[in-house]
Amino acid sequence: MMESFTAVVPMLCVTVAALAVMGAEAFRARGENLPVGGLGIVGLVGAAAASVLLWDRNAVSFGVIKADNFGLFVTMVLLLVGVLTIMLSAPVVGRDGLPKGDYYALVLFSIVGMIMMATANDLLVVFIALEILSIAVYVLTGIRRDDPQAAEAAFKYFLLGAFSSAFFLYGIAFTYGLSGSTRLDRVGAYLAAQSLSDDPLILIALGLLLVGFAFKISAVPFHMWTPDAYEGAPAIVTGFMSTGVKAAAFAAFARVFLSAFEPFSGDWAPVVWLLAAATMVLGTFVGVAQSNLKRMLAYSSIAHGGYLLVGLVAANEVGKAAILFYLLAYAVTNLAAFGVIALLGAREAANDELRDYAGLWHTRPALAALMTVCMLSLGGLPPTAGFIGKWYIFSAAVGAGYYGLAIIGVLTSVVSVFFYLRVVVMMYMADGPAATSAPVETPRVALAALAAAVAVIFYLGVLPARILDLAVASVATIF
Amino acid sequence: MPETIAFYVFSAIAIGASALVIGQRNPMHSVLLLIASFGALAGLYIQLDAPFVAVAQIIIYAGAIMVLFLFVVMLLNAPQEDAAEWDRTHPLRQGVLARFGSLLALLLVVELVWALLGTSDVDRPVGEQAGAAGSVRALGKVLFTEYVFPFEATSVLILVAMVGAVVLARRESDES
Amino acid sequence: MLALIPLFPLLGFLTNASLGRRLPKTVSGAVASAVMVASFAVSVMTVLDLAGSPPDARAIEQVVYTWIASGDFVLDVTLRVDPLAAVMILIVSGIGALIHIYSTAYMQEEPDGEYARYFSYLNLFAAFMLVLVLGANFLVLFVGWEGVGLCSYLLIGFWFKKKSAADAGKKAFVVNRIGDYAFILGVLFLFVQFGTLDFQRLAGMAAALPPEEGVFGALSLATLLLFVGATGKSAQIPLYVWLPDAMEGPTPVSALIHAATMVTAGVYMIGRNAVLFSHAPETMTIVAVVGALTALMAATIGLVQNDIKRVLAYSTVSQLGLMFLAMGVGAFGAGIFHLYTHAFFKALLFLGSGAVIHALHGEQDIRNMGGLKRDLPVTYWTFLVGALAIAGVPLLSGFFSKDEILYETFREGHTVLWLVAAVTSLLTATYMFRLVFLTFHGEGPNPAPSHPAPSHPAPSHLAPSHLAPSHLAPSDAPSHPRTVAPSHLHDAPPAMALVLVVLAVGSAVAGYIGMPHGLGGDNQLAAWLAPSFEPPAGARPAEAEAGPEGALELTLMGVSSAIAVGGILLASYFWLRRRELGAALARRYAGVYALLLNKYYVDEVYDAAVVHPIQRGSERGLWRGFDVSVVDGAVNGVGAIVAEGSAILRRLQTGSVRAYASSVLIGVVVILGYYLWR
Repeated sequence: MMESFTAVVPMLCVTVAALAVMGAEAFRARGENLPVGGLGIVGLVGAAAASVLLWDRNAVSFGVIKADNFGLFVTMVLLLVGVLTIMLSAPVVGRDGLPKGDYYALVLFSIVGMIMMATANDLLVVFIALEILSIAVYVLTGIRRDDPQAAEAAFKYFLLGAFSSAFFLYGIAFTYGLSGSTRLDRVGAYLAAQSLSDDPLILIALGLLLVGFAFKISAVPFHMWTPDAYEGAPAIVTGFMSTGVKAAAFAAFARVFLSAFEPFSGDWAPVVWLLAAATMVLGTFVGVAQSNLKRMLAYSSIAHGGYLLVGLVAANEVGKAAILFYLLAYAVTNLAAFGVIALLGAREAANDELRDYAGLWHTRPALAALMTVCMLSLGGLPPTAGFIGKWYIFSAAVGAGYYGLAIIGVLTSVVSVFFYLRVVVMMYMADGPAATSAPVETPRVALAALAAAVAVIFYLGVLPARILDLAVASVATIF
Repeated sequence: MPETIAFYVFSAIAIGASALVIGQRNPMHSVLLLIASFGALAGLYIQLDAPFVAVAQIIIYAGAIMVLFLFVVMLLNAPQEDAAEWDRTHPLRQGVLARFGSLLALLLVVELVWALLGTSDVDRPVGEQAGAAGSVRALGKVLFTEYVFPFEATSVLILVAMVGAVVLARRESDES
Repeated sequence: MLALIPLFPLLGFLTNASLGRRLPKTVSGAVASAVMVASFAVSVMTVLDLAGSPPDARAIEQVVYTWIASGDFVLDVTLRVDPLAAVMILIVSGIGALIHIYSTAYMQEEPDGEYARYFSYLNLFAAFMLVLVLGANFLVLFVGWEGVGLCSYLLIGFWFKKKSAADAGKKAFVVNRIGDYAFILGVLFLFVQFGTLDFQRLAGMAAALPPEEGVFGALSLATLLLFVGATGKSAQIPLYVWLPDAMEGPTPVSALIHAATMVTAGVYMIGRNAVLFSHAPETMTIVAVVGALTALMAATIGLVQNDIKRVLAYSTVSQLGLMFLAMGVGAFGAGIFHLYTHAFFKALLFLGSGAVIHALHGEQDIRNMGGLKRDLPVTYWTFLVGALAIAGVPLLSGFFSKDEILYETFREGHTVLWLVAAVTSLLTATYMFRLVFLTFHGEGPNPAPSHPAPSHPAPSHLAPSHLAPSHLAPSDAPSHPRTVAPSHLHDAPPAMALVLVVLAVGSAVAGYIGMPHGLGGDNQLAAWLAPSFEPPAGARPAEAEAGPEGALELTLMGVSSAIAVGGILLASYFWLRRRELGAALARRYAGVYALLLNKYYVDEVYDAAVVHPIQRGSERGLWRGFDVSVVDGAVNGVGAIVAEGSAILRRLQTGSVRAYASSVLIGVVVILGYYLWR
């Protein structure tokens, strides 16, 4: 009996932490300051410990949650994202006057949804997980209610998210209608038997599911909400959702399409090919023209979604492992970059225009140096995590014979360095405006989180072998 | 034959009422039309041998939720949408883009119909519990065995939605 | 052991980057120089070690750790010293150390923080460069390749307050990115073809293939892509445009990066993959032709430039062209030989020009100089040695290496290319001595040429650090004739003078280790390098050492000597004895003069043909066109995209959301349509 619960333990830990945060907040005396963020971290660390214990055990609970190594790898990435987010949020929540308890509870709940999504072995569970994380993130986007831009962002995100959820649900319904089940293994068995059929309904189901996932990872042309939502949300929330949501959605995407829908890869690969190409190109070239850092990084994260799609198209052993590695590299890097943006903001002014970063090296050298590493990693320059990630993705594409994608990918990543380096240039080679010139002590917790993130970036860039072995071992268990 | 006629009648009501929901200026009318749409859906469920789902549809959606909606609309004393605004933004009143959107929707319908016509066995019963899905016993059994996890996970979903609603709706003053 | 070589400068970088602001200048300068000296010492020990082993076994390899392992593809971080790398690490750490020492004096007037920042960049650059030459596979090389690019960008733009410096940094970066794109594709392509990126194994596999004579096969494509990458880094046609602008950086940077080390990375890379290239004759021809053309073109431009550093920059481009010519005709040893001697005399010339600029408080226009021989004796004499060496005057280092290139080109039957190279040599001697005469001889400022070209930007960019008050707004500093009376000029301070002298000695004698057989030498360098250009042991063809055709070699040598001397005489006629004649000539051929002065208008053409369309495309085409006008414009009317309160509110009213939703719906309809209709 106990055995059947083990797979859900990680998300249970986080759920309990979220409930504890809510409870603590509810019984808090007025003006009392509770360390609810720490409470959340305890839950996340507990979940991480559980995940480590579950490694290699392939636990399945209720038939719908499968804590295989693939899911656990992504879970660990998500937990890391969660810990870093909470640490980076500590100074921001107080500064911006966000409702502390609600904020952390929502972050934790959305992590619950993400973990559920990454380990789900059932389309219905994927959908519920998607909704849990989405609703939490919609609210987080608009959590600064005095900011009309945030409200706009949340509203747009919500409407379009609901719109795309409908397509996704429709896809699930068709799949159920065809196969009589929502379990991925049964769907897979059904599809494998039908692999020669040309039943249009199968393809319709496939297409609709594809749209649902493509929206969440903001692939072109389903990306339109991304720049607005990312720009409007508080920087740290943007960092959280651009990494956590994307990682969770990608995990489910990969699981559904590389296991259940694998027999039809000949049908979805060309479409994903096109999505990947369009996503990389548009994300990069539009990103070049941006002057707002958050908006620029929004387009950048669109482009990174494109690189991940390349790994999905390639879908050889290297490609699958590359997706996991890249997810980790991207998540840590992007979150740290947004963390820096968040730390530089103020309640009155976001300070997220590119020109606000002029001369940052003089006023806040530590943050400038950390940001530089993040930018170099996002741009894929050695010896950072981003370089190894890109190398793997592209060599997977080349290995699988997708030369076109590799060429487009290399081109866009070469171009993308322009806008990443523009930030570095601004920080080191320009004279600063007054906005950031007041020397402010960077809060220790946040600085520690950033330093940890940068350490991970270098670790992945210099000694990637171990994590890569883990990634390879992870994909080996399911596909 | 009468079943077929009933199917088309319910379907027409459901589709027509849904289309009218989004075409109304007065939110009160929208809500009432939505109730009509749900009622028609309940009829379709009965035809599908799912009386329990049909009843649940009536009680929960048409009954409870829609009544709540009506209360909210009445409490807010929601005015009619501004006419000028309506003219400017209504899908049917705006130029190319609106027609473009309608055209796309139409195309989607055509594609779905095409796919359904092209499929080999539309009337094949689906799933292991097909036929019994409507009975309370069968449904309960499935819900608490095979789908117990999604069932429980939904509670988290609802909790998150509640927290979210509270966060967004709460007055500013209580925290600073 | 090998890892120490790049590790020392890296430590220097870390020290200066983290503590630099708190350290006094002397300490940060000393640390930076000391780590370079240490690195040089280790390099010397390594090379001595290497020389102790028999020629066939001259390679030391160190696997630092396994970097990437995916499937059956394992890639180690491996450093490897073979004869070629040995030469390179000596150049990089040796010349690098000298330039660091020189910089301690040259940058003395920078504020503390900036001083440390400068040295941290310089150390980081050296570390990456050493990784580049030590890397035993393409990915490690690539780490260095990208790293030096990044550092050079930072160093060129070091005086970023000067807009031209910031622009130059940007330009260097953009141009190098184009090259890098081709380079990465080339590497990926090789990886697909051979499944390995290790230089040794690649060479072994390529050696087993027949040369792609007359066909343009996979190897030709891969090597061509690599070569395009090399043209970016080593400033060849069509990607040379960044190098002359890169002179906006501090002069020691120009000496280190843009003369002695980084720009040679392309040449080195080809030498490193000599086996691959020699199996792709089509690419080799392209390399040779591009090299020769670049050499000639840059030399003609160098003839009329008036900025002392710009002349040297074009001379660098030109000399690099000769190196590529050597590579292209298969004379890899000759190319590396020239790379090696060039490192000495070009560093010397740049540092000498730095001393001049230092003495003149930032003046760089040679028309405002003259007669400096008296006041700057050390600078003058060392500079003269450098000029004689680069001109190819017999028995100095440049003579041997350049002569070998000419000889090999001729011997391989490329008569036309030989002629081009010979003309280039003539021009080289001429423009170098034009520089010497205008700068050091004569009486004070020269009369400006009567045909001033308004578009010529050089005189207005003064190195700002020495104009202390105007440091903050250096771009306002006007071009002005020298105001300091000659008697107040100071020759190079000791640290700089010492370096100049060392380099002058090097420029004079460095060539003797490659003394050709024709002169009774035994060309030790060629023999030393030879194993690096051949496939790993076993596959070596039993080709007899090409018997030196003594007579031909001596004849050609005579021609070269005559060319060098002729060029110098020509320069002395025009710019020493009859100065007015130069001006008259410029007037007479005003069109040609303007063409050369404006560098064949290549920058303008690139701007019009490439830069503007891309900028416009990305700003208007994609962003404005797609995301903004389609999305926002559809709702708000074209163009109204200001994110002011009202605009935000208007957009909040579902407007653009519907457009976004349309985009989603289009996607859905198209994807489903594709599945149904196909």
